[in-house]
Amino acid sequence: MNSARPAARAWEGNGPFGRALRLLGSMEDVLLVVLLAVMIGLAAWQILARNIFDTAILWGDPFLRTLVLWVGFLGAVAAGRDDRQINVDVVSRFTGEPWRSRIRVATDLFTAVVSGFLAWQAVRFVKDAAAYEEIAFASVPLWLTASILPLAFGLLAIRYLLLSGFHLRRSFGGEADE
Amino acid sequence: MILTGLLLLALALLGAPLFAVIAAGAIFAFGRADVDQIAVVMEVYRIADTPVLLAIPLFTFAGFILGESRAPNRLVRLSDALLGWMPGGLAVIALVTCALFTAFTGASGVTIVAMGALLYPALRDAGYRENFSLGLVTTSGSLGLLFAPSLPLILYGIVAEVSVDRLFIAGILPGTLMLLALGLWSFREGRFLHQSAAERPAFSAREAVAAVRAAAWEIPLPIIVLGGVYTGFFAVSEAAAVTVIYVLVVEMLIYREISFARLPGIMRESMVLVGGILVILGASLASTNAMIDAQVPMKLFDFVTAHVSSKLTFLILLNIFLLVLGTMLDVFSALIIVVPLLLPLAAGYGIEPIHLGMIFLANMQIGYCTPPVGMNLFIASYRFNKPIVTLYRATLPWLLILFACVLLITYWPWLSMVMVQ
Repeated sequence: MNSARPAARAWEGNGPFGRALRLLGSMEDVLLVVLLAVMIGLAAWQILARNIFDTAILWGDPFLRTLVLWVGFLGAVAAGRDDRQINVDVVSRFTGEPWRSRIRVATDLFTAVVSGFLAWQAVRFVKDAAAYEEIAFASVPLWLTASILPLAFGLLAIRYLLLSGFHLRRSFGGEADE
Repeated sequence: MILTGLLLLALALLGAPLFAVIAAGAIFAFGRADVDQIAVVMEVYRIADTPVLLAIPLFTFAGFILGESRAPNRLVRLSDALLGWMPGGLAVIALVTCALFTAFTGASGVTIVAMGALLYPALRDAGYRENFSLGLVTTSGSLGLLFAPSLPLILYGIVAEVSVDRLFIAGILPGTLMLLALGLWSFREGRFLHQSAAERPAFSAREAVAAVRAAAWEIPLPIIVLGGVYTGFFAVSEAAAVTVIYVLVVEMLIYREISFARLPGIMRESMVLVGGILVILGASLASTNAMIDAQVPMKLFDFVTAHVSSKLTFLILLNIFLLVLGTMLDVFSALIIVVPLLLPLAAGYGIEPIHLGMIFLANMQIGYCTPPVGMNLFIASYRFNKPIVTLYRATLPWLLILFACVLLITYWPWLSMVMVQ
């Protein structure tokens, strides 16, 4: 939640790999915006329907709650991509380069490992849900509504792995300039 | 176990994202208790089972739209027309508008960036001293935390399982107290500033009418939201949906200040904040559960009750703890992480959950501006291009006043509870 935005995703690089990453990022953003728009529309419709027509879409409320999960986690992925996850930035305010980057290598790697582990557990969760044919609401299967979790944690893991590599190069003066 | 805890704490202090630190704690704790770690993810999924959460993305998005429009200018103009004639009027205006704005946008530094940019130059032009003006815009960045529909209030309701409607009502008096106290301070500065009433702009009925007209579409907003919730006409998440639709119609179709092309960017930007909060909330649902399994709240309760005998001592310790916490953590993460631990403790000393919420948020509000690392100080330093040490000095009197308010809120439960009883 810093107001100071970091360098515009310098860590993604400029090669074909960087372009692919940026394309992926745009796709995430489109999905985020569409789902938020659906959420707003549906929430408004539910109120209208309830107060004027005295009826509301039955699966509307659980669907809205699922949308909160999806929009929230896509937002979290976007926060990761912008390198703006909520953190305590006591130390970084008082350290300069190259130590700031060196510390980042450790914290990024840690975040990547934790996210990767969560993604793996989330894959198990989704697989179980599919195996037992669990239902989230109406006839929507749980594996579908829960699939944002492996997706989001997986994407976070990849981003933080790349970020740690970026900071590793920078801490050895490879990309000293912001 | 202690070693792991220290390692995680070190990682958090070094700047690792909090969601990862908390999730790692949960993973480790479940692992020790031989619980399948799939449980971590199952807890995270509970986000999809929390109805009130819907209010958070909706209110946040509405707040970001308001921040991007010229609503702040209209709000300042309106308050100026209505309050500008008073001694210290402009300063009082700044306080009121910042509080309103923070209530609608959450305490995320948006207020300092959006309102401070308008108010700081205006204050300086009107002859207010630099330190006074800086202190005002910095501390006002979190004023309004206690007013509906502020995100921290909603989040507290969710975490503490207290009705959000009642929190909205409970926040009115404590929030007003802070506003009044700072208003008096501004009033004093104003009298010191203007020797004669002649130097102040006179109240102009014509300008007042014009200002009301200019903001005619935004004035009903607090009434719709608060009135709707207070009278029980809307649930909180419904009020949030109505707010979004209303704000979209007003800013896009009536004032035409936000184009369709800008909408996706604002949507994304607001959801980065929401996502940052929700992912911590998810991780924290897991870690709280792991802590309950390990009986941490009970052990903590036994430990504290064995060492702290009176309610008064507990409250003093609580104040100190929260002030320190508030300097390091933003209100959202602090709330999500600490409140589940504090609730049983406070209940043991006979403190109502609603009162605890007021104490918690009031302390956090100060923590935002407390040296050496309060977030508002850094945002203001960055925004107004002043050394951080200048801001330490500038905010000091404001902090002392707010601190007195926090003491009142803490030790006089009546203030928080009278409206909801």
